[in-house]
Amino acid sequence: MQPKHTLTSFISLLSLFMLFCVSVHAQNDSIVKAKNDAIKQEQKYGIRIGGDLGKLVRTVLDDDYKGFEIMADFRLTKRWYIAGEIGTEESTQSNDYLNSTASGTYFKAGADYNSYTNWFGMHNMIYGGFRMGASTFNQTLNSFSVYSQNQYWTPQFSSNEAMKFSGLSALWAEFIIGIKAEVLPNLFVGINAQLKSMISQDQPENFENIYIPGFNRTYDSGKFGVGYGYNISYLIPLFKKNK
Amino acid sequence: MKKIIPLLLLFFAVTNCEKDDICSEDTATTSLLYIEFYNNNNQENRKNVFNFRAQGVGNENPLEDFNVVTSNKVFLPLKTTENQTQFKLHNNYEIDDNGTPEDDSDDFITGNEDIITISYLATEVYVSRACGFKTVFENVTISIEDDGDKWIDFIQSTTDNEPITNATEAHFNLFH
Repeated sequence: MQPKHTLTSFISLLSLFMLFCVSVHAQNDSIVKAKNDAIKQEQKYGIRIGGDLGKLVRTVLDDDYKGFEIMADFRLTKRWYIAGEIGTEESTQSNDYLNSTASGTYFKAGADYNSYTNWFGMHNMIYGGFRMGASTFNQTLNSFSVYSQNQYWTPQFSSNEAMKFSGLSALWAEFIIGIKAEVLPNLFVGINAQLKSMISQDQPENFENIYIPGFNRTYDSGKFGVGYGYNISYLIPLFKKNK
Repeated sequence: MKKIIPLLLLFFAVTNCEKDDICSEDTATTSLLYIEFYNNNNQENRKNVFNFRAQGVGNENPLEDFNVVTSNKVFLPLKTTENQTQFKLHNNYEIDDNGTPEDDSDDFITGNEDIITISYLATEVYVSRACGFKTVFENVTISIEDDGDKWIDFIQSTTDNEPITNATEAHFNLFH
């Protein structure tokens, strides 16, 4: 019960931050314009390093999942950041007919564009970005049973002999949107959502990739995938620049 | 900002529903064995079997669709766990109550029953995440047990020994 409680309070905390951002935005419109010419903004530039809290929480709560992700971004200009993630995941997917485990590591690199105009002294982000993602992983078919619409003879053939497909890889492109809010000086929390599109992947013989680390689960219907992240990160300020 | 947050929330709501893993009935999964009945005296023509009844050897029940019917074909489910399935094909199945409709104990079955043995190599082929695997039957052969009074003359393959993956066309012709 305790971890769920923590999650709930974390989410409400996060919603609070969102509200905070909205109200800041409202002020932003009314005040900054009035004093536009009087302020010379100094902005912090640096490298921001963090991790995905959502994956850690899921690792604790979900027996079928282990995941860990480190993320970093580096501010290039007022609005552009280069950004990337590196992580490892293991996930077991199962239904009535299949049970398989995928595990491996992934790497994503790209850029984020901050569309949010900060008020003086603030460093929040509402961003959109893109990534190229790559994963090397292996997939184990733990068990399966044969599907037959006709159930005159039961049970159908089933196998519990694990079959491991190693050395698989996948490459995909990804759009990301999200927010990062500075909650304490240089400490950021954020959420993001990702839409992924597969470019190429190795399929195991007489099976397919059910889950790909970093890409998440695959869909029968096509090459698209989705993901989300809850992250916490710390900005190591390196220098300041006037905007 | 005000536009993005509902968009994000909607996105999370949508992506959390992942229960689309239902195997559609249209998907080609494990196939039945399709046999058509022909007239042995006029081999171009289909011929009905009256009061036809098919039952698997080792199964208590007859096939639901072939329980005393008039038919010129049969669809047989094969065991996916073994490399052989036997069926009792009964021509003119009838229960004779021996003149005592109330007393079941002296009833006997009339007609002619032949037992066929279908031998094959069962291989598992991946279909999809929702349907899992299907069984494909390779090198299928059928033999008829000779009980001295066969109603089946012979059974012939029509597929040139191709693996059985669907039941849109007959795999075997039965002549009687």
